[in-house]
Amino acid sequence: MKIRTFAYFVKEAVKSMFRNGLMTLASIGAVAAALLVLGCFIIITLNINYIVSDIESQVEITAYLNDSLENDQINDIGREIIQIKGVKEVVFVSKAQALEEFKERLKEHKNILIGLEEDNPLPDSYRIKALTPEDVGFVAEKVSSIKGVAEVKYAKEVVDKLFTITRWIRIIALGFMAIFALVAVFIISNTIKITVFARRKEINIMKYIGATDWFIRWPFFIEGMLMGLIGASIAIGILMGGYYYLLKVLYTHIRIIKLLPIKYFYDYAGYMALAGAIIGSLGSTISIRKFLKV
Amino acid sequence: MIRAYNVSKVYENGVVALKNVSFKIDKGDFVFVVGPSGAGKTTLIKLIFKEEEPTEGYLVVAGRNLSRLKRRDVPFYRRKIGVVFQDFRLLPQKTVFENVAFAMEVVEASKKEIHRKVPLVLELVGLLDRQKAFPSELSGGEKQRVALARAIVNNPEIIIADEPTGNLDPDTAWDIIDLLKEINLRGTTVVVATHASQIVNTMKQRVIALRKGLVVKDQERGGYRIEN
Ligand SMILES: Nc1ncnc2c1ncn2[C@@H]1O[C@H](COP(=O)(O)OP(=O)(O)OP(=O)(O)O)[C@@H](O)[C@H]1O
Ligand SMILES: [Mg+2]
Repeated sequence: MKIRTFAYFVKEAVKSMFRNGLMTLASIGAVAAALLVLGCFIIITLNINYIVSDIESQVEITAYLNDSLENDQINDIGREIIQIKGVKEVVFVSKAQALEEFKERLKEHKNILIGLEEDNPLPDSYRIKALTPEDVGFVAEKVSSIKGVAEVKYAKEVVDKLFTITRWIRIIALGFMAIFALVAVFIISNTIKITVFARRKEINIMKYIGATDWFIRWPFFIEGMLMGLIGASIAIGILMGGYYYLLKVLYTHIRIIKLLPIKYFYDYAGYMALAGAIIGSLGSTISIRKFLKV
Repeated sequence: MIRAYNVSKVYENGVVALKNVSFKIDKGDFVFVVGPSGAGKTTLIKLIFKEEEPTEGYLVVAGRNLSRLKRRDVPFYRRKIGVVFQDFRLLPQKTVFENVAFAMEVVEASKKEIHRKVPLVLELVGLLDRQKAFPSELSGGEKQRVALARAIVNNPEIIIADEPTGNLDPDTAWDIIDLLKEINLRGTTVVVATHASQIVNTMKQRVIALRKGLVVKDQERGGYRIEN
């Protein structure tokens, strides 16, 4: 396509956008609203995932070791564990440390443990943290097969529950995203349908003087894409601004809640702009199809 | 240039617009298609232009069998034909110049080419001084000439004019016909559908007469006579 022709398409698209001022605003608003909701879901989902996975990875696996192992053997086991895929952190807890922790927990009743120092029944152990909750089961299994490991324990239910929760959040969010995207496509296609309808005579004439389908389609395509992009930009602007403000407020007042830093969303802003453009061009393609059959 | 083989057209509402029509128009011909209102003249033009499809038979135009023409080739086929529509089909929000230039933009002509060619054809149809006017500011004859300018600007092989003298006074009508004849003398095939018996009789050109969808007469140097 020639640059001049492309410039003509863009000019036509922009002219048409101004000509249907109100409908254009409505379409841009619709895309912005849809993407705003979509963006909110992205922010919420990712943050929940972030917080949850923080908890998830705190789910510990404890590997109790056989009694009567040499120091070398214990070190070897530690080295072997750290090499398992999905392991984030490994800490050795000796019998003595375990007993101390036990005493701490029992507090005033710790007297009952007197005398156990000489004949400590608690085993040495490794405490392992996984990278993600999905890794926990796998890591536990691997660790239990290491020679010298007597028993592996972890809070299976907690892990499973967290796992299901995050999965449901993902599914629901995806569902909403799909619905809102469809609504936006529908609104855009209706706006462009109005443009196309208003210009059907012109389209007809274009067809009769030998314009190709794409020549006719491009301006509408660009119009839809522009509306989608502008809507997306508005949504991105509001979301970024809002999120920046939220982080600032949280940071100054409630410092315990840790949310994802804003730079984490830059990529998603790009995806949203892309989504806007796709929604727009899809809407325009749908609406012009039937007018081209001449 | 244009050949029709046993072409029939039945519209969806059951109206039979053309019945078993066959004819042959050669390159460089000037042909009148005549007949009373409803005879099928516009329908025939629509078939040639592939705006409608024949129900039976087929047409071969400029070496192409229109029934076999692929959808994506239709625009390129139409560029070979300039049509002056019965209702002009000008764009009301474009000026005279822009209306003609539009036909060139559509085929992606360069700006330079457009600025060279459009004044030339406007000069030819005698509308150069009205180039900044909008269609609503033009008389019927002037609109007719803009439509003609647009039809010829891309140098088509065939010009088809549907009722080009429709509502014009005799002098203006003659201007239009003279223009068409001039274009024809430059080698373009011209097909004119009309009721204007006076013009047809005076011109002494090939005449294809239709009545109720049938070809009732096809003669060289013919005249217009409404038979009953
Ligand atoms: N789109 C259509 N659908 C149904 N019937 C149609 C359609 N177009 C034309 N007809 C019918 O087909 C017949 C031929 O019409 P056509 O327009 O070809 O006549 P014409 O010779 O051009 O007449 P005129 O001189 O009035 O322009 C008429 O009876 C008309 O009512
Ligand atoms: Mg007619």
